[in-house]
Amino acid sequence: MTPAGPGDQAGPLRLVTVNLLGAVVHPALDGSPYRIDRDGRPYVPAGDGGIVLGLELGDSVFALDADHAAPGACLVHPDPAARHALAAYACVGNEVRVRTGAAAGARGVVLGKRGEEGRVIAGFAPADLARLRPGDEVSVRARGQGWRPPGLPPEVAVMSLDPGLVPMLPIGLPAPGASAQTAAVTVSVRVTVPSKLAGNGIGRPAAAWDLDLQLPPPGPGGAGDPALRDIALGDLVAVSDLDARYNMGYRRGWVTVGIVVHGASPLPGHGPGITPLLTGPAAALQVNADAAGHVGLTATALRLQ
Amino acid sequence: MKVTTNAARLVRQVLAGEIWPPLADRHAYRVGPDGQPFLLPGMGGVTLDVHCGDPATGYASDHLEPGASIRHRDPGANMALQFLTCVGNQVRVVSGPAAGATGHVIGQHAYVLADFADFTDAGTGTGTGTDAAGLTTGDAVTVLAVGQGLALPDHPRVVVKNCDPDLLAAMPGGTRPDGRLEVHVAARVPAEAIGAGAGMASEYANTDLMGAYAGLGADLSLGLEGLRIGDLVALADADHRYGRGYRPGYLTIGVISTGQCMMFGHGPGPSTLLSGPASAFCLVDDLDANLAAWLHPQPAEYAPDQAVVP
Repeated sequence: MTPAGPGDQAGPLRLVTVNLLGAVVHPALDGSPYRIDRDGRPYVPAGDGGIVLGLELGDSVFALDADHAAPGACLVHPDPAARHALAAYACVGNEVRVRTGAAAGARGVVLGKRGEEGRVIAGFAPADLARLRPGDEVSVRARGQGWRPPGLPPEVAVMSLDPGLVPMLPIGLPAPGASAQTAAVTVSVRVTVPSKLAGNGIGRPAAAWDLDLQLPPPGPGGAGDPALRDIALGDLVAVSDLDARYNMGYRRGWVTVGIVVHGASPLPGHGPGITPLLTGPAAALQVNADAAGHVGLTATALRLQ
Repeated sequence: MKVTTNAARLVRQVLAGEIWPPLADRHAYRVGPDGQPFLLPGMGGVTLDVHCGDPATGYASDHLEPGASIRHRDPGANMALQFLTCVGNQVRVVSGPAAGATGHVIGQHAYVLADFADFTDAGTGTGTGTDAAGLTTGDAVTVLAVGQGLALPDHPRVVVKNCDPDLLAAMPGGTRPDGRLEVHVAARVPAEAIGAGAGMASEYANTDLMGAYAGLGADLSLGLEGLRIGDLVALADADHRYGRGYRPGYLTIGVISTGQCMMFGHGPGPSTLLSGPASAFCLVDDLDANLAAWLHPQPAEYAPDQAVVP
């Protein structure tokens, strides 16, 4: 999002920026309209991929009766290998530009990514999003994989994060040259969830997948833990005892921080999803849960209004 | 297991498959928990060394699949083979030097996995006659599929998956005077161990368990390194009735059908057999709760000559 600066480096190495081509994907179903929810009821999945209108950063992950709905448009490439590359190299905060169709020229921002065959979630101003159509081509200015901020503790990994986005997130990087005692990354999150809630995405490569958190919708009358109930799209959320440097998996004493990129799902083993951004031992990646005051990524900060 | 079932109302279908090769790509290596690259056998083809009752971990292997790994060449037929085949179903080899060898399904792992009682020791060559050590990629097998739809009328809250009625009958336990279903398990698994496979259908593949990386860091361990192939295990807070998800107060019974993994977030995996509220079950810790006790030797009714006669 910003021109390369002196800190915009992977250790001693400079980052490269790659223009990628994505196309707005159409939702796809197989022969049956139904999926089966966690209670055994069939439902028709709405909002799983494609262009979703009326859902924005800051909205609750439980705001809509939808399946994996993301705030914006999902991008893919028609070639499977190029599609994986699009999902792997795109980073949260990367700028995108619509190239074809009625919204040609519109600017958007990568908000996250999803796994399986690979999908990039791009946010747009609502008026631009409404002009998009499946099949429209979108260029993604990919930059960030390989980035290590100066002073980052060596045991902490950062991934899928555009360096220019860091000032817009409640992430505190240690000053270069900080002593070992003070050289921790500090992050404010909405909530820390235990690793046993990690669902689909576990065992998969964190740089190219999201991780679903198995949080069912709040019960009647808003029952359930308020901190879990109030998770919003764009929030940062931490998962304890999860190591996401490569594949995601259980490791005692670690923590992974991700950005919430899609809403809840009726499917068992699924739920609101995070794109992992930071992972490390809890001593070096210090998480402060602030259920009431947390502010994650906002449309205002991204100039998507 | 002494329990009333609808077994007499289930259909038996003759399904076809073939032993599928291990698959790799030109980049060869995958990545372990600490970023260590590895290239290890175990998934696909015919794995000779490991059988029900043997340790699940402790091998130089990744996604270890004991015995033969089976698919159908047509994608739609393959999904039917994977969904309809149940643990305990008979598998008979119909081509190649091992034709006539008879084994049993021990689980699902995107392959149907079949173990054979008559494997010779590893490394003895091609095998002869009905010796399953002569199996290799491409050999055709017949699966006598029965079990999907199996229900327990006296236990309406318990869903049965992927379980041959004869296997259920051979298992210890059953309906208790208090109405609960007694199930013997060799190990109990905490919810933190659930790895890859969460969110998938419970009739396909299996649920990898983390915390069983023999020989790796203590911070990765959940105390599951002692699992054996074929062990019946109880998964805490797991609801596999309509897929696989975390649900406090539910319980899932599975059978360990795959072993050692180096890939992080993966590990020995149970195929789902029973799932329901924990209050519907009475678990009995029993180290003998293993498929080896029930499938080998083969029950008389599985004699090859009788097996596929309609």
